[in-house]
Amino acid sequence: MTAISLRSVVKQFGDVTAVDHLDLDLAEGELIAFLGPSGCGKTTTLRMIAGFEMPTAGQIWLGEEDVTWLSAEKRNCGMVFQNYALFPHLTVYRNIAFGLEMRRVPRNEIARRVRSVLEKVQLHGLEERYPRQLSGGQQQRTALARALVINPNVLLLDEPLANLDAKLREEMRFYIRTLQQEFGITTIYVTHDQSEALVLADRVAVMMGGMLQQIGTPEDLYRRPETAKVADFVGLVNLIPVRMKERCGAAIACESTLGPLEGRGPDGPGAEAEGWLSVRPENLHLSGTDGAAASGTDGTVNQMRGVVRERAYLGSLIDYRVEVGPALTLRIQGGAEAPYHAGDAVAVGFASADAWFVPSEEG
Amino acid sequence: MATIRRGDGGLALPWARLSRAAATRRQKAFLLVLPAVALLLLFFILPYLYLLYISVMTQSHNAKYITRFTLANYAQTIGDLFIWRVIFHTLRLGVITTVIALVLSYPLAYHLARASSVMKGLLMMLVLTPLLVGVVIRTYSWMILLSDTGLINSLLTSWGVQPAHLMYNDTGVTIGLVHIYIPFMVLSLAGPLQGIDPDIERAARSLGAGAWQAFWRVTWPLSLPGVVSGSVLVFVLAISSYVIPSLLGGFTVITVPLLAIRTITELFNWPLGSALTIVFFALTVVIVWLFLRLMSRAMKGAA
Ligand SMILES: Nc1ncnc2c1ncn2[C@@H]1O[C@H](COP(=O)(O)OP(=O)(O)OP(=O)(O)O)[C@@H](O)[C@H]1O
Ligand SMILES: [Mg+2]
Repeated sequence: MTAISLRSVVKQFGDVTAVDHLDLDLAEGELIAFLGPSGCGKTTTLRMIAGFEMPTAGQIWLGEEDVTWLSAEKRNCGMVFQNYALFPHLTVYRNIAFGLEMRRVPRNEIARRVRSVLEKVQLHGLEERYPRQLSGGQQQRTALARALVINPNVLLLDEPLANLDAKLREEMRFYIRTLQQEFGITTIYVTHDQSEALVLADRVAVMMGGMLQQIGTPEDLYRRPETAKVADFVGLVNLIPVRMKERCGAAIACESTLGPLEGRGPDGPGAEAEGWLSVRPENLHLSGTDGAAASGTDGTVNQMRGVVRERAYLGSLIDYRVEVGPALTLRIQGGAEAPYHAGDAVAVGFASADAWFVPSEEG
Repeated sequence: MATIRRGDGGLALPWARLSRAAATRRQKAFLLVLPAVALLLLFFILPYLYLLYISVMTQSHNAKYITRFTLANYAQTIGDLFIWRVIFHTLRLGVITTVIALVLSYPLAYHLARASSVMKGLLMMLVLTPLLVGVVIRTYSWMILLSDTGLINSLLTSWGVQPAHLMYNDTGVTIGLVHIYIPFMVLSLAGPLQGIDPDIERAARSLGAGAWQAFWRVTWPLSLPGVVSGSVLVFVLAISSYVIPSLLGGFTVITVPLLAIRTITELFNWPLGSALTIVFFALTVVIVWLFLRLMSRAMKGAA
């Protein structure tokens, strides 16, 4: 069953189109991450779903109900704000109880439910603290508890981890995911951190300039981006300009300034289509130029030569920039066991299964 | 032993030098606040001390007072039912003015706090411009509007409506007081209101609070510091106002400042006028203190 449905939703602020014909369906219990650069309309979309903003056009459905014009307090959406927006004049307990008090839940029932959710978010013992007396992580969990205690139909999280330090962010990711699955609650998770989106979400919706660029599983997005913009935004990528020569099912053969290359491609674009082959840095293999085939694995059909221009030591990996042709430098991340240095001539190879064809925008 | 003592002396020396340095630093710091202390003393404390002094002197017919200690002026003030009626009337005017100013200012301050920066500047200008015109001039313009043959009443008569008495009574004085002191209320409210994150109100809404509930449960309690400071400010200014009640009240409305000044300038009774002022001052301090106590309990946790 669809829990949230956005139908051609538009939001304009004066001349600015913050959200442009957005269509999206969320299944019950699904966690979707909205991923996109700053100002692409993520918060605006979330606010329209929560009922803080009215769309300029289009419809919003929650379950079986058209809520486009319903005010926020009637939508039963649990929202966690980027800066938590806890009530500074109320204790942790009263903050969490607020939604239940608004629903006129009896006092002892409130006490029971607040205690149970406090247990879940591991905040027991802090009931009588005021928000300013809490650490960032504790405030975060208070905000989560406050949103969850009302048994919302949907949970909306607007960059919930943006204000936490890196280590805590890592922990909270998994924690939020566990909690979400335990409650089985349909969730939209707004972030501009692509690794957060990939780790957490069932599906990721990439937004740019108010428009939905692509929606799919993290693996879809990472391995089979539909546009160069998406490929570039989600993780690191090398884009090699190519022209498709022929295709056989998903397998394609292309020509490029580096010679013939093989890869995979989406349905649609046929021979003569212009575009790029996108290859992730970790899928490019380096080897010496002394004749031996790069890595020697079966799939490594694409071979080229280049010169290491820069290297950066990242601990578990080394990050190379290798010039393989005029105005074409590839980023390659490899194991630290066979290090190359700036100026070394190297062979670069990648498997056809690791190269994905992205058509150029004009089509 | 000798070595130890010498060691002691060697240790003591830097300490002594240090504390001497600290002392001079403290002296310098004192010099820095001295102008402020002097100003406070000169403008706030000395006049009151002088009033306090006069209030315990004996009345004289050919001088300000005779230097002879007495508490008779206080006895007379406290025992006079008329004076108590004036005090009560003044406090009532103060409360009414404060409440009306609060009710009118709150929505204005709220919009000011939430407006875009361009609108904010414009609204702020509008709020502040009345302060650029003197109190007397503004009060006279109210007289033009409110008098029995003034603009409002001529309009009413031309429409065939009974003219209303808007001046030389409490109505006129209240209108004048509210108008003059509203900017102080707006400015006091705007700060705390601006400090409230709009997301906090949104959070309340998403948790099921209607617009009014969100206001009463979240916005209002968080704005209480501004409400308190604005109210105290306007109340104190209103009850100590002289120009407005004298011009718009036309001496039919008698407030404590009017009475005190008349006691001094018309009855030439400096000691009695001073005693009245001191009693009223003490009463005001107590009222404000009680109000602050009450509100600080309500504000527990806020701010
Ligand atoms: N109230 C508003 N008035 C005018 N323009 C607005 C308003 N709210 C948002 N916008 C504009 O709409 C666009 C989308 O804003 P939005 O806040 O949704 O971005 P976002 O994706 O959440 O970005 P971020 O990652 O920085 O939070 C921006 O260009 C923004 O300037
Ligand atoms: Mg945002």
